[in-house]
Amino acid sequence: MNSTDKPIVNPLVVLREEFDDWAVLFNPDTADAVGINPIGIVVWKKMDGTRTLADLVAQVRATFAEVPDSVNDEVSAFVDNLAQKGFVGYEASASP
Amino acid sequence: MSTNVMRVPRKMDIELTAQCNLRCRYCYFFNNAAVEYKDVSTAEWLKFFDELGSLGVMELTLAGGEPFHRPDLRELLDGIIRNRMRFAFLSNGGLITDEIAAFLAQSKRCNYVQISLDGSRPETHDAARGKGAWEGAVRGIRTLQRNHVQVAVRLTIHRYNVDDLEDATRFLLQDLGLSGFGTNSAGYLGNCQRNADEMMLTTEERQRAMETLLRLNQKYNGRINAAAGPLAEGQMWRRMENARAMGAPEFSNGGHLTACGCTFNKIAIRADGAIVPCNMLPHIVLGYINRDSLQTIWQTAPALNDLRERRAIPLSNFEFCDACDYQPYCTGNCPGLAYTLTGQVNHPSPDACLRRFLADGGHL
Repeated sequence: MNSTDKPIVNPLVVLREEFDDWAVLFNPDTADAVGINPIGIVVWKKMDGTRTLADLVAQVRATFAEVPDSVNDEVSAFVDNLAQKGFVGYEASASP
Repeated sequence: MSTNVMRVPRKMDIELTAQCNLRCRYCYFFNNAAVEYKDVSTAEWLKFFDELGSLGVMELTLAGGEPFHRPDLRELLDGIIRNRMRFAFLSNGGLITDEIAAFLAQSKRCNYVQISLDGSRPETHDAARGKGAWEGAVRGIRTLQRNHVQVAVRLTIHRYNVDDLEDATRFLLQDLGLSGFGTNSAGYLGNCQRNADEMMLTTEERQRAMETLLRLNQKYNGRINAAAGPLAEGQMWRRMENARAMGAPEFSNGGHLTACGCTFNKIAIRADGAIVPCNMLPHIVLGYINRDSLQTIWQTAPALNDLRERRAIPLSNFEFCDACDYQPYCTGNCPGLAYTLTGQVNHPSPDACLRRFLADGGHL
Protein backbone atom coordinates (compact mmCIF):
# COMPACT_ATOMS: atom_id res chain seq x y z
CA MET A 1 0.00 0.00 0.00
CA ASN A 2 1.11 3.54 -0.60
CA SER A 3 1.71 5.89 2.28
CA THR A 4 -1.34 7.98 1.36
CA ASP A 5 -3.73 5.06 0.90
CA LYS A 6 -6.58 4.87 3.38
CA PRO A 7 -7.78 1.27 3.44
CA ILE A 8 -11.34 0.37 4.32
CA VAL A 9 -12.64 -3.07 5.23
CA ASN A 10 -15.12 -4.89 3.02
CA PRO A 11 -18.29 -4.64 5.13
CA LEU A 12 -19.30 -8.11 4.02
CA VAL A 13 -16.33 -9.70 5.75
CA VAL A 14 -16.98 -11.16 9.20
CA LEU A 15 -14.46 -10.79 12.03
CA ARG A 16 -14.66 -13.75 14.43
CA GLU A 17 -12.60 -13.09 17.53
CA GLU A 18 -11.64 -16.14 19.58
CA PHE A 19 -10.62 -16.59 23.21
CA ASP A 20 -6.96 -17.10 22.58
CA ASP A 21 -6.41 -13.70 20.94
CA TRP A 22 -6.56 -14.90 17.39
CA ALA A 23 -9.37 -14.20 14.97
CA VAL A 24 -10.77 -15.31 11.65
CA LEU A 25 -11.79 -13.06 8.80
CA PHE A 26 -14.45 -14.73 6.70
CA ASN A 27 -15.88 -13.65 3.38
CA PRO A 28 -19.27 -15.35 3.08
CA ASP A 29 -19.55 -14.71 -0.65
CA THR A 30 -16.36 -16.57 -1.48
CA ALA A 31 -15.97 -18.76 1.66
CA ASP A 32 -12.39 -17.46 1.93
CA ALA A 33 -11.09 -17.29 5.49
CA VAL A 34 -7.91 -15.82 6.91
CA GLY A 35 -6.53 -16.28 10.42
CA ILE A 36 -5.15 -13.12 12.00
CA ASN A 37 -3.20 -12.36 15.17
CA PRO A 38 -3.90 -9.68 17.81
CA ILE A 39 -2.04 -6.99 15.84
CA GLY A 40 -4.09 -7.88 12.78
CA ILE A 41 -7.27 -7.48 14.82
CA VAL A 42 -6.29 -3.97 15.88
CA VAL A 43 -5.42 -2.99 12.32
CA TRP A 44 -8.63 -4.54 10.97
CA LYS A 45 -10.77 -2.57 13.39
CA LYS A 46 -9.10 0.72 12.45
CA MET A 47 -9.36 0.40 8.68
CA ASP A 48 -12.33 2.71 8.19
CA GLY A 49 -11.14 4.65 5.17
CA THR A 50 -9.81 7.59 7.19
CA ARG A 51 -6.42 6.21 8.30
CA THR A 52 -3.15 5.92 6.41
CA LEU A 53 -0.47 3.31 6.95
CA ALA A 54 1.26 5.65 9.40
CA ASP A 55 -1.99 6.05 11.34
CA LEU A 56 -2.47 2.30 11.53
CA VAL A 57 1.11 1.71 12.67
CA ALA A 58 0.70 4.42 15.31
CA GLN A 59 -2.38 2.61 16.54
CA VAL A 60 -0.43 -0.64 16.82
CA ARG A 61 2.37 1.10 18.74
CA ALA A 62 -0.19 2.64 21.08
CA THR A 63 -1.82 -0.72 21.77
CA PHE A 64 1.13 -3.08 22.24
CA ALA A 65 4.13 -2.67 24.53
CA GLU A 66 6.81 -4.25 22.39
CA VAL A 67 6.52 -3.56 18.69
CA PRO A 68 9.32 -4.60 16.32
CA ASP A 69 11.00 -2.12 13.99
CA SER A 70 9.59 -4.04 11.05
CA VAL A 71 6.01 -3.17 12.01
CA ASN A 72 5.62 -0.69 9.15
CA ASP A 73 6.46 -3.28 6.51
CA GLU A 74 4.43 -5.97 8.25
CA VAL A 75 1.28 -3.88 8.49
CA SER A 76 1.70 -2.80 4.89
CA ALA A 77 2.08 -6.41 3.73
CA PHE A 78 -0.89 -7.46 5.86
CA VAL A 79 -3.14 -4.85 4.28
CA ASP A 80 -1.88 -5.64 0.78
CA ASN A 81 -2.60 -9.32 1.33
CA LEU A 82 -6.14 -8.56 2.48
CA ALA A 83 -6.65 -6.20 -0.46
CA GLN A 84 -5.60 -8.93 -2.89
CA LYS A 85 -8.23 -11.22 -1.39
CA GLY A 86 -10.92 -8.56 -1.60
CA PHE A 87 -11.17 -8.23 2.17
CA VAL A 88 -10.02 -4.60 2.06
CA GLY A 89 -10.40 -1.77 -0.47
CA TYR A 90 -9.13 1.77 -0.75
CA GLU A 91 -11.23 4.88 -0.72
CA ALA A 92 -11.36 6.28 -4.21
CA SER A 93 -9.66 9.67 -4.44
CA ALA A 94 -11.93 12.59 -5.17
CA SER A 95 -11.60 13.90 -8.73
CA PRO A 96 -9.47 17.07 -8.94
CA MET B 1 -15.58 -24.13 29.81
CA SER B 2 -13.44 -26.85 28.23
CA THR B 3 -10.27 -25.85 26.46
CA ASN B 4 -10.15 -25.84 22.66
CA VAL B 5 -13.65 -24.47 22.45
CA MET B 6 -14.39 -21.55 20.20
CA ARG B 7 -15.83 -18.34 21.63
CA VAL B 8 -19.04 -19.00 19.73
CA PRO B 9 -19.94 -21.89 17.44
CA ARG B 10 -18.59 -21.69 13.94
CA LYS B 11 -21.36 -23.82 12.48
CA MET B 12 -24.94 -24.61 13.39
CA ASP B 13 -27.29 -27.42 12.43
CA ILE B 14 -30.75 -25.93 12.07
CA GLU B 15 -33.86 -28.08 11.81
CA LEU B 16 -35.80 -25.45 9.94
CA THR B 17 -39.11 -27.29 10.07
CA ALA B 18 -40.74 -30.37 11.53
CA GLN B 19 -42.83 -30.72 8.37
CA CYS B 20 -41.85 -33.26 5.76
CA ASN B 21 -43.39 -34.56 2.55
CA LEU B 22 -42.05 -38.05 3.32
CA ARG B 23 -42.16 -40.47 6.24
CA CYS B 24 -39.03 -42.53 5.80
CA ARG B 25 -38.99 -45.75 7.77
CA TYR B 26 -35.53 -45.15 9.19
CA CYS B 27 -35.72 -41.37 9.70
CA TYR B 28 -33.80 -40.28 12.80
CA PHE B 29 -35.91 -37.15 13.17
CA PHE B 30 -39.45 -38.36 13.74
CA ASN B 31 -40.89 -40.36 16.62
CA ASN B 32 -38.68 -39.07 19.37
CA ALA B 33 -40.74 -38.79 22.53
CA ALA B 34 -38.55 -35.97 23.82
CA VAL B 35 -39.18 -33.71 20.83
CA GLU B 36 -42.07 -31.33 20.29
CA TYR B 37 -42.78 -31.36 16.57
CA LYS B 38 -43.79 -27.77 15.85
CA ASP B 39 -42.22 -24.94 13.92
CA VAL B 40 -41.12 -21.55 15.16
CA SER B 41 -42.37 -18.60 13.13
CA THR B 42 -40.63 -16.73 10.34
CA ALA B 43 -40.11 -13.74 12.63
CA GLU B 44 -38.51 -15.90 15.32
CA TRP B 45 -36.04 -17.48 12.90
CA LEU B 46 -35.15 -14.07 11.46
CA LYS B 47 -34.53 -12.63 14.91
CA PHE B 48 -32.34 -15.60 15.75
CA PHE B 49 -30.36 -15.25 12.51
CA ASP B 50 -29.66 -11.65 13.53
CA GLU B 51 -28.17 -12.98 16.78
CA LEU B 52 -26.04 -15.48 14.86
CA GLY B 53 -24.82 -12.74 12.55
CA SER B 54 -23.80 -10.56 15.47
CA LEU B 55 -21.87 -13.49 16.98
CA GLY B 56 -19.96 -14.28 13.79
CA VAL B 57 -21.41 -17.72 13.09
CA MET B 58 -20.20 -18.71 9.64
CA GLU B 59 -22.25 -21.62 8.31
CA LEU B 60 -25.70 -23.10 8.81
CA THR B 61 -26.77 -26.58 7.74
CA LEU B 62 -30.50 -26.41 7.13
CA ALA B 63 -32.41 -29.62 7.66
CA GLY B 64 -35.71 -30.77 9.06
CA GLY B 65 -38.10 -32.37 8.44
CA GLU B 66 -37.71 -31.22 4.88
CA PRO B 67 -36.29 -27.70 4.72
CA PHE B 68 -37.71 -27.01 1.26
CA HIS B 69 -41.14 -27.57 2.78
CA ARG B 70 -41.06 -24.11 4.42
CA PRO B 71 -43.18 -21.71 2.38
CA ASP B 72 -41.14 -18.79 3.73
CA LEU B 73 -37.80 -20.32 2.76
CA ARG B 74 -36.75 -17.42 0.51
CA GLU B 75 -37.38 -14.97 3.32
CA LEU B 76 -35.40 -17.08 5.77
CA LEU B 77 -32.50 -17.38 3.32
CA ASP B 78 -32.54 -13.61 2.86
CA GLY B 79 -32.14 -13.33 6.64
CA ILE B 80 -29.19 -15.71 6.60
CA ILE B 81 -27.55 -13.90 3.71
CA ARG B 82 -28.14 -10.50 5.29
CA ASN B 83 -26.33 -11.75 8.38
CA ARG B 84 -23.25 -12.72 6.37
CA MET B 85 -23.52 -16.48 6.72
CA ARG B 86 -23.25 -19.37 4.29
CA PHE B 87 -25.59 -22.32 4.27
CA ALA B 88 -26.09 -25.90 3.12
CA PHE B 89 -29.17 -28.12 2.94
CA LEU B 90 -30.02 -31.69 3.84
CA SER B 91 -33.01 -32.62 1.72
CA ASN B 92 -34.95 -35.46 0.14
CA GLY B 93 -34.94 -33.47 -3.11
CA GLY B 94 -38.60 -33.87 -3.95
CA LEU B 95 -39.61 -30.23 -3.45
CA ILE B 96 -36.72 -28.56 -5.22
CA THR B 97 -37.84 -26.41 -8.12
CA ASP B 98 -35.92 -24.53 -10.78
CA GLU B 99 -36.97 -21.31 -9.12
CA ILE B 100 -35.45 -22.08 -5.73
CA ALA B 101 -32.39 -23.73 -7.30
CA ALA B 102 -31.74 -20.59 -9.34
CA PHE B 103 -32.08 -18.51 -6.19
CA LEU B 104 -29.54 -20.69 -4.38
CA ALA B 105 -27.10 -20.37 -7.27
CA GLN B 106 -27.34 -16.61 -7.53
CA SER B 107 -27.06 -16.17 -3.75
CA LYS B 108 -23.41 -17.31 -3.90
CA ARG B 109 -23.83 -18.51 -0.31
CA CYS B 110 -24.93 -22.10 -0.78
CA ASN B 111 -22.13 -24.57 -0.05
CA TYR B 112 -24.13 -27.54 -1.27
CA VAL B 113 -27.47 -29.29 -1.18
CA GLN B 114 -27.22 -32.85 0.07
CA ILE B 115 -29.91 -35.13 -1.34
CA SER B 116 -30.73 -38.49 0.19
CA LEU B 117 -30.74 -41.08 -2.55
CA ASP B 118 -30.70 -44.70 -1.51
CA GLY B 119 -30.59 -46.70 -4.69
CA SER B 120 -30.17 -47.03 -8.41
CA ARG B 121 -33.88 -47.57 -9.00
CA PRO B 122 -37.21 -46.69 -7.37
CA GLU B 123 -37.71 -50.08 -5.70
CA THR B 124 -34.68 -49.90 -3.43
CA HIS B 125 -35.16 -46.25 -2.48
CA ASP B 126 -38.94 -46.14 -2.20
CA ALA B 127 -39.08 -49.25 0.01
CA ALA B 128 -37.93 -47.07 2.90
CA ARG B 129 -39.10 -43.67 1.70
CA GLY B 130 -42.43 -44.15 -0.04
CA LYS B 131 -43.69 -44.35 -3.60
CA GLY B 132 -42.41 -41.60 -5.85
CA ALA B 133 -39.58 -40.58 -3.53
CA TRP B 134 -36.82 -41.87 -5.85
CA GLU B 135 -38.14 -39.91 -8.80
CA GLY B 136 -38.36 -36.81 -6.62
CA ALA B 137 -34.80 -37.19 -5.41
CA VAL B 138 -33.39 -37.71 -8.90
CA ARG B 139 -35.44 -34.83 -10.25
CA GLY B 140 -34.11 -32.66 -7.41
CA ILE B 141 -30.51 -33.61 -8.19
CA ARG B 142 -30.93 -32.86 -11.88
CA THR B 143 -32.64 -29.55 -11.09
CA LEU B 144 -29.75 -28.48 -8.88
CA GLN B 145 -27.19 -29.58 -11.46
CA ARG B 146 -29.03 -27.71 -14.21
CA ASN B 147 -28.85 -24.57 -12.08
CA HIS B 148 -25.19 -25.07 -11.14
CA VAL B 149 -25.79 -25.66 -7.45
CA GLN B 150 -23.26 -27.97 -5.79
CA VAL B 151 -24.93 -31.33 -5.12
CA ALA B 152 -23.93 -33.89 -2.53
CA VAL B 153 -25.63 -37.25 -2.12
CA ARG B 154 -25.99 -39.37 0.99
CA LEU B 155 -26.86 -43.02 0.49
CA THR B 156 -28.19 -44.63 3.64
CA ILE B 157 -27.74 -48.38 3.60
CA HIS B 158 -30.55 -50.60 4.88
CA ARG B 159 -31.91 -54.06 4.25
CA TYR B 160 -33.74 -53.05 1.05
CA ASN B 161 -30.75 -51.57 -0.77
CA VAL B 162 -27.80 -53.56 0.58
CA ASP B 163 -27.65 -55.58 -2.62
CA ASP B 164 -28.00 -52.52 -4.85
CA LEU B 165 -24.74 -50.84 -3.87
CA GLU B 166 -22.84 -51.66 -7.05
CA ASP B 167 -25.62 -50.38 -9.32
CA ALA B 168 -26.25 -47.38 -7.04
CA THR B 169 -22.58 -46.39 -7.16
CA ARG B 170 -22.55 -46.63 -10.95
CA PHE B 171 -25.77 -44.64 -11.14
CA LEU B 172 -24.50 -41.86 -8.90
CA LEU B 173 -20.98 -41.54 -10.24
CA GLN B 174 -21.55 -42.31 -13.90
CA ASP B 175 -25.18 -41.66 -14.83
CA LEU B 176 -25.67 -38.63 -12.59
CA GLY B 177 -22.05 -37.53 -12.96
CA LEU B 178 -21.40 -36.81 -9.29
CA SER B 179 -17.79 -36.36 -8.23
CA GLY B 180 -18.45 -38.50 -5.16
CA PHE B 181 -21.07 -39.41 -2.59
CA GLY B 182 -21.37 -40.29 1.08
CA THR B 183 -22.77 -43.34 2.81
CA ASN B 184 -23.96 -44.30 6.24
CA SER B 185 -26.49 -46.85 7.45
CA ALA B 186 -29.87 -46.86 9.13
CA GLY B 187 -29.22 -46.32 12.84
CA TYR B 188 -31.30 -46.99 15.94
CA LEU B 189 -32.80 -43.50 16.14
CA GLY B 190 -36.30 -42.05 15.63
CA ASN B 191 -38.51 -44.03 13.23
CA CYS B 192 -35.82 -46.66 12.87
CA GLN B 193 -36.28 -47.71 16.49
CA ARG B 194 -39.79 -48.86 15.54
CA ASN B 195 -38.65 -50.50 12.33
CA ALA B 196 -35.27 -51.79 13.40
CA ASP B 197 -35.75 -55.41 12.35
CA GLU B 198 -37.03 -54.34 8.96
CA MET B 199 -34.44 -51.63 8.27
CA MET B 200 -31.20 -52.21 10.16
CA LEU B 201 -28.55 -54.42 8.63
CA THR B 202 -27.89 -57.83 10.12
CA THR B 203 -24.27 -58.70 10.85
CA GLU B 204 -24.09 -60.70 7.63
CA GLU B 205 -25.54 -57.82 5.59
CA ARG B 206 -23.24 -55.36 7.28
CA GLN B 207 -20.31 -57.58 6.40
CA ARG B 208 -21.45 -57.71 2.78
CA ALA B 209 -21.99 -53.96 2.59
CA MET B 210 -18.57 -53.33 4.09
CA GLU B 211 -16.78 -55.58 1.61
CA THR B 212 -18.73 -54.21 -1.34
CA LEU B 213 -18.11 -50.58 -0.43
CA LEU B 214 -14.42 -51.08 0.24
CA ARG B 215 -14.10 -52.73 -3.17
CA LEU B 216 -16.17 -50.07 -4.95
CA ASN B 217 -14.28 -47.26 -3.27
CA GLN B 218 -11.05 -48.71 -4.61
CA LYS B 219 -12.55 -49.19 -8.06
CA TYR B 220 -13.79 -45.57 -8.13
CA ASN B 221 -10.60 -44.05 -6.71
CA GLY B 222 -11.89 -43.02 -3.29
CA ARG B 223 -14.99 -41.23 -4.52
CA ILE B 224 -17.16 -42.80 -1.81
CA ASN B 225 -16.84 -41.32 1.65
CA ALA B 226 -18.29 -42.12 5.05
CA ALA B 227 -18.09 -40.90 8.61
CA ALA B 228 -20.31 -43.74 9.82
CA GLY B 229 -21.86 -46.93 8.49
CA PRO B 230 -20.28 -49.96 6.80
CA LEU B 231 -17.61 -48.15 4.76
CA ALA B 232 -16.35 -46.11 7.71
CA GLU B 233 -16.48 -49.18 9.91
CA GLY B 234 -14.64 -51.28 7.35
CA GLN B 235 -11.87 -48.70 7.15
CA MET B 236 -11.66 -48.01 10.87
CA TRP B 237 -11.98 -51.62 12.02
CA ARG B 238 -9.20 -52.77 9.70
CA ARG B 239 -6.94 -50.09 11.14
CA MET B 240 -7.87 -51.20 14.64
CA GLU B 241 -7.28 -54.86 13.88
CA ASN B 242 -3.90 -54.12 12.29
CA ALA B 243 -2.89 -52.05 15.31
CA ARG B 244 -4.01 -54.78 17.71
CA ALA B 245 -2.18 -57.49 15.78
CA MET B 246 1.03 -55.45 15.75
CA GLY B 247 0.71 -54.35 19.39
CA ALA B 248 0.75 -50.73 18.21
CA PRO B 249 0.55 -47.90 20.74
CA GLU B 250 -2.82 -46.39 21.59
CA PHE B 251 -4.36 -44.20 18.88
CA SER B 252 -4.26 -40.49 19.76
CA ASN B 253 -8.05 -40.52 20.07
CA GLY B 254 -8.28 -44.07 21.38
CA GLY B 255 -9.07 -45.54 24.76
CA HIS B 256 -11.60 -42.90 25.80
CA LEU B 257 -15.04 -41.62 24.79
CA THR B 258 -13.51 -39.22 22.29
CA ALA B 259 -16.29 -39.39 19.73
CA CYS B 260 -17.58 -37.09 18.72
CA GLY B 261 -15.93 -33.68 18.45
CA CYS B 262 -18.97 -31.81 17.16
CA THR B 263 -19.66 -29.98 20.41
CA PHE B 264 -16.37 -28.13 20.07
CA ASN B 265 -17.35 -26.18 16.98
CA LYS B 266 -21.06 -26.49 16.40
CA ILE B 267 -24.45 -26.75 18.06
CA ALA B 268 -27.97 -27.57 16.86
CA ILE B 269 -31.43 -26.03 16.93
CA ARG B 270 -34.62 -28.07 16.83
CA ALA B 271 -37.59 -26.98 14.72
CA ASP B 272 -39.39 -25.80 17.84
CA GLY B 273 -36.50 -23.50 18.74
CA ALA B 274 -34.89 -25.68 21.39
CA ILE B 275 -31.12 -25.37 21.52
CA VAL B 276 -29.58 -28.86 21.73
CA PRO B 277 -25.99 -30.13 21.52
CA CYS B 278 -26.63 -32.19 18.40
CA ASN B 279 -29.51 -33.42 16.24
CA MET B 280 -28.70 -36.90 17.52
CA LEU B 281 -29.19 -35.74 21.13
CA PRO B 282 -32.46 -33.79 20.85
CA HIS B 283 -33.54 -34.66 24.38
CA ILE B 284 -30.80 -32.52 25.95
CA VAL B 285 -32.43 -29.10 25.85
CA LEU B 286 -29.94 -26.36 26.69
CA GLY B 287 -32.35 -23.44 26.19
CA TYR B 288 -34.55 -21.80 23.57
CA ILE B 289 -33.75 -19.35 20.80
CA ASN B 290 -34.60 -15.69 21.41
CA ARG B 291 -35.16 -16.45 25.08
CA ASP B 292 -31.67 -17.57 26.05
CA SER B 293 -28.33 -16.20 24.89
CA LEU B 294 -26.68 -18.62 22.50
CA GLN B 295 -23.25 -17.37 23.51
CA THR B 296 -23.96 -17.94 27.20
CA ILE B 297 -25.24 -21.44 26.51
CA TRP B 298 -22.25 -22.23 24.32
CA GLN B 299 -19.80 -21.10 26.98
CA THR B 300 -21.48 -22.13 30.20
CA ALA B 301 -24.21 -24.76 29.77
CA PRO B 302 -23.22 -27.61 32.11
CA ALA B 303 -24.73 -30.30 29.87
CA LEU B 304 -22.72 -29.07 26.91
CA ASN B 305 -19.51 -28.94 28.88
CA ASP B 306 -20.21 -32.43 30.21
CA LEU B 307 -20.34 -33.65 26.61
CA ARG B 308 -17.06 -31.92 25.82
CA GLU B 309 -15.46 -33.50 28.84
CA ARG B 310 -16.78 -36.91 27.90
CA ARG B 311 -13.50 -37.53 26.11
CA ALA B 312 -11.72 -37.81 29.45
CA ILE B 313 -13.75 -40.92 30.37
CA PRO B 314 -11.68 -44.06 29.79
CA LEU B 315 -13.27 -47.05 28.10
CA SER B 316 -11.83 -49.17 30.88
CA ASN B 317 -14.55 -47.70 33.11
CA PHE B 318 -17.18 -49.72 31.30
CA GLU B 319 -18.08 -53.32 31.89
CA PHE B 320 -19.08 -53.36 28.23
CA CYS B 321 -15.41 -52.90 27.29
CA ASP B 322 -13.95 -55.33 29.84
CA ALA B 323 -10.87 -57.15 28.54
CA CYS B 324 -11.35 -55.81 25.03
CA ASP B 325 -8.12 -55.82 23.03
CA TYR B 326 -9.41 -52.98 20.85
CA GLN B 327 -9.78 -50.49 23.70
CA PRO B 328 -6.58 -48.51 22.87
CA TYR B 329 -7.86 -47.93 19.35
CA CYS B 330 -11.56 -47.34 20.02
CA THR B 331 -13.33 -43.96 20.41
CA GLY B 332 -16.61 -45.24 21.84
CA ASN B 333 -18.39 -43.77 18.81
CA CYS B 334 -21.61 -41.79 18.53
CA PRO B 335 -23.08 -40.59 21.85
CA GLY B 336 -26.50 -40.26 20.20
CA LEU B 337 -26.61 -43.95 19.36
CA ALA B 338 -25.09 -44.79 22.74
CA TYR B 339 -28.06 -43.04 24.32
CA THR B 340 -30.79 -44.70 22.27
CA LEU B 341 -29.20 -48.13 22.69
CA THR B 342 -28.14 -48.00 26.34
CA GLY B 343 -30.02 -45.07 27.86
CA GLN B 344 -26.69 -43.41 28.68
CA VAL B 345 -24.86 -40.70 26.74
CA ASN B 346 -21.64 -41.45 28.57
CA HIS B 347 -21.32 -44.99 27.31
CA PRO B 348 -19.68 -46.57 24.26
CA SER B 349 -22.12 -47.17 21.42
CA PRO B 350 -22.73 -50.92 21.13
CA ASP B 351 -23.72 -50.44 17.49
CA ALA B 352 -20.19 -49.60 16.41
CA CYS B 353 -18.38 -52.16 18.58
CA LEU B 354 -15.83 -54.18 16.64
CA ARG B 355 -15.60 -56.90 19.27
CA ARG B 356 -19.36 -57.40 19.18
CA PHE B 357 -19.37 -57.47 15.37
CA LEU B 358 -16.76 -60.24 15.41
CA ALA B 359 -18.57 -62.15 18.14
CA ASP B 360 -21.74 -62.02 16.05
CA GLY B 361 -19.97 -63.75 13.19
CA GLY B 362 -18.54 -60.78 11.31
CA HIS B 363 -14.98 -60.81 10.05
CA LEU B 364 -12.49 -58.35 8.58
